[in-house]
Amino acid sequence: MKRSQLWLTLITVFLIVASVWYLYPSLSLWSLSDTEKALLKEKDPSKLLSLEQKGIKLGLDLRGGMHVVLQVDKTKLKPEESKDAVERALEIIRNRVDQFGVAEPLIQKQGEDRIIVELPGLQDVERAQNLIGQTAQLEFRLFETPENTKTVLAKIDEILTPKKTEVKPSKGKDTSQEKKIAKDLFSKEAIDTTAQEEEAGITGKPFTSLLEPSGSDFYLVSLEDKPKIDQYLKNPKIWEQIPEDDTLAWATGAEPFKGVDYQKLYLIKKKSELSGKYLTDAREDFDQYRRPEVRFTLTKEGGRRFAQITGANIDKPLGIVLDGRVESNPIIRAKIRENGVIEMGSGATIDNARDLAVVLRAGALPAPVKIIENRVVGPSLGQDSINKGMKAGIIGIGLVILFMAIYYRLSGIIADFALILNLVYLLAALAGLHATLTLPGIAGIILTMGMSVDSNVLIFERIREELRTGKTIRASIDAGYKRALLTVIDSHVTTLITAAVLFQFGTGPIKGFAVTLSLGVIISLFTAVVVTKLIFNIRKNYQTLSI
Amino acid sequence: MFELIKKTNINFVGMRYFAFAFSGILMVLGIIAFVFIFMGKANMGIDFAGGTMIQGSFEKSMQIGQVRDALRKNGYGDAEITELQRGVPYFFMIRLRSTSETGSKVADQVIGILKKEFPDNNFRKDSVDEVGPAVGKILQKQARFAVLISLLGILVYIWIRFDFRFGVAATAATFHDILSILGILFILHKEITLLIVTALLTIAGYSLTDTVVVYDRIRENLKVFRKKGDFPGTINNSINEVLSRTIITGGTVFLAVLAIYFFAGEVVHDFALALLIGVLEGTYSSWFVAAPIVLEWEKWSPKRFK
Repeated sequence: MKRSQLWLTLITVFLIVASVWYLYPSLSLWSLSDTEKALLKEKDPSKLLSLEQKGIKLGLDLRGGMHVVLQVDKTKLKPEESKDAVERALEIIRNRVDQFGVAEPLIQKQGEDRIIVELPGLQDVERAQNLIGQTAQLEFRLFETPENTKTVLAKIDEILTPKKTEVKPSKGKDTSQEKKIAKDLFSKEAIDTTAQEEEAGITGKPFTSLLEPSGSDFYLVSLEDKPKIDQYLKNPKIWEQIPEDDTLAWATGAEPFKGVDYQKLYLIKKKSELSGKYLTDAREDFDQYRRPEVRFTLTKEGGRRFAQITGANIDKPLGIVLDGRVESNPIIRAKIRENGVIEMGSGATIDNARDLAVVLRAGALPAPVKIIENRVVGPSLGQDSINKGMKAGIIGIGLVILFMAIYYRLSGIIADFALILNLVYLLAALAGLHATLTLPGIAGIILTMGMSVDSNVLIFERIREELRTGKTIRASIDAGYKRALLTVIDSHVTTLITAAVLFQFGTGPIKGFAVTLSLGVIISLFTAVVVTKLIFNIRKNYQTLSI
Repeated sequence: MFELIKKTNINFVGMRYFAFAFSGILMVLGIIAFVFIFMGKANMGIDFAGGTMIQGSFEKSMQIGQVRDALRKNGYGDAEITELQRGVPYFFMIRLRSTSETGSKVADQVIGILKKEFPDNNFRKDSVDEVGPAVGKILQKQARFAVLISLLGILVYIWIRFDFRFGVAATAATFHDILSILGILFILHKEITLLIVTALLTIAGYSLTDTVVVYDRIRENLKVFRKKGDFPGTINNSINEVLSRTIITGGTVFLAVLAIYFFAGEVVHDFALALLIGVLEGTYSSWFVAAPIVLEWEKWSPKRFK
């Protein structure tokens, strides 16, 4: 074997191993039944999440969900106000969707004044529309004192720690409740806490062991532990420990701390001290030391009230809360009237300041949005599409395989091997690149399988032609590959050109088609040309050739 | 060796005027379809025209006429209703061409009517598509732009790889394929959707496969032509020499798309149909459009390949 061939063989084998590695999460996910999935979601949500993240992502048309396009209505806004209206709307929608707890939502700006929102798995149109269409609620609130917070947390730990004499409830009786999916964040639905109680027995501090104290006003929860906390928060017993006028609230997003992503958790007062409508403007700026800050202005009335609040709470943190989530918790340094400054603290960038300013302005001046496109796919329709796509795939690819084996015999079987290899590589690439598989995407896979043997057809026909001129078999094979190669490449490049255009202009399902088509065509150049050649080269001399 | 096609000597070049006539008819149809689309009078899907599409099923037996009557009684006489074969029985698709910007009310109203009219036979909606007319306009613009960019890309690539004349002829053949599909879909009264445009672009890329195969052979055979000087004969021989592979490459793709057409369900049914027509057109046009144009050009202005 020549050196180059050895290398190519190694690459082929390596790619097969890599494919198995990338496909493993998808395969183990598909092998789970719905009830097993629901069970895993309760027991080990982070494992299910990691499987879903590493597996092949299904598009909305296959898994069900909502796709909404919103238009920001600038007609009622003054030119000055409409400048960043889209950013403001985007910020609010992002915050709300995040709160909604949909896995893998997509929220992005499209064109000048449109926003795409994709919510996989979500069916309830009305709720989603409320979620998106409501006016943003920006408030300034105060936090619970650090001492009281500690006491509350200790009580929560206590209630979660099982007493030694307590008889554990039998598991079977609660499984029906396990399958219930909580409808809202913090909804007070009863859940089976057996697993959590078992865990608690080890540490004695089931709740606070998941919290990392930081400063005095909030606790850090790593994103890995957040599902566990959310699970705990569904337990009404916990809420009984929290004072009437307090609530637990998450920060808007996660932030890195010592290399891990954390989300802040606060115990905050329910009472709104001042609402966002008293804000007139907020801008990011630099202070005299070039540190980022946000300057904001309040109305006269707002300034009067704010002076009271801030005057009475100097050196305490102030919560800037958007739709129930804490955006920021600056310390009140002095009495603030109509003009205030929020220092962003060390390590903050001007972008952080800009984000906060956008939130403040969004609360002050909500940008109205209207739904201009709305697509909802039910889960059963999605499943039906998956089933039909699979059936079409098996039959289509089967027909191609059969044809090649009959027409080109042993050589055709070699081409078929390359075809199956192409399929495996393609699926692995979809998983590895986190590409989204859609129904047109499945059609794209079937189509590329039909196209990928085209390269072999061109090569084999060329080999036959060379054989007819009386060349030896070995020489014919080599000449066939050599002379057909350019044609093979040329015939695929144009498909790639149009696939690229489709990717650029297509909407979700069509992007899925463009992805499978282009990946399949590129991979086929390797499998149908390089791999089949390697197989033909196993033998040095041919007495006969089955072609 | 198992061969479908033995060595042939079909006079493709001699048949070119019949082919031109046939292609001409297809292209006129395609142009009519294109004009209708441009004027907004063609059968445009809700992707491009805007509107509402509801899919769902009834629990118990339901006739399509009953659904139609119920909707007509409540002011939705223009609803198009189709019964579909899905995983569940009594599955219907209801389409409305709404003009309101926020169509969400229309879907809610229609579903409300069905629930009210058939209280003991619950209608379970499975999917809702609502597209405002503004979105349709944007998508139309994008689709036109995408087709244009694709054709330009193909022209440039073939021009670089072959020669200007081949490039123009190949692009003309591609254009011919796309227009033919449009024309045939127009006659069949198929809806123009985003997926159909996707099929058109895919064919634009794919139909060149056979054209490239034929062109490669013509280029190889130009050596012979330079000695003997018979350009029509060279072209004819080239097409005949690669006849079996142009048929088989098209054939394998045809087989794969046939499975999509029959088994992958309604969503991609017309998409597969467009691809099927396109695959046939792609092979046909490599013999009867792409190659003859080069021939005519050479006759009109010789010397190019000397």
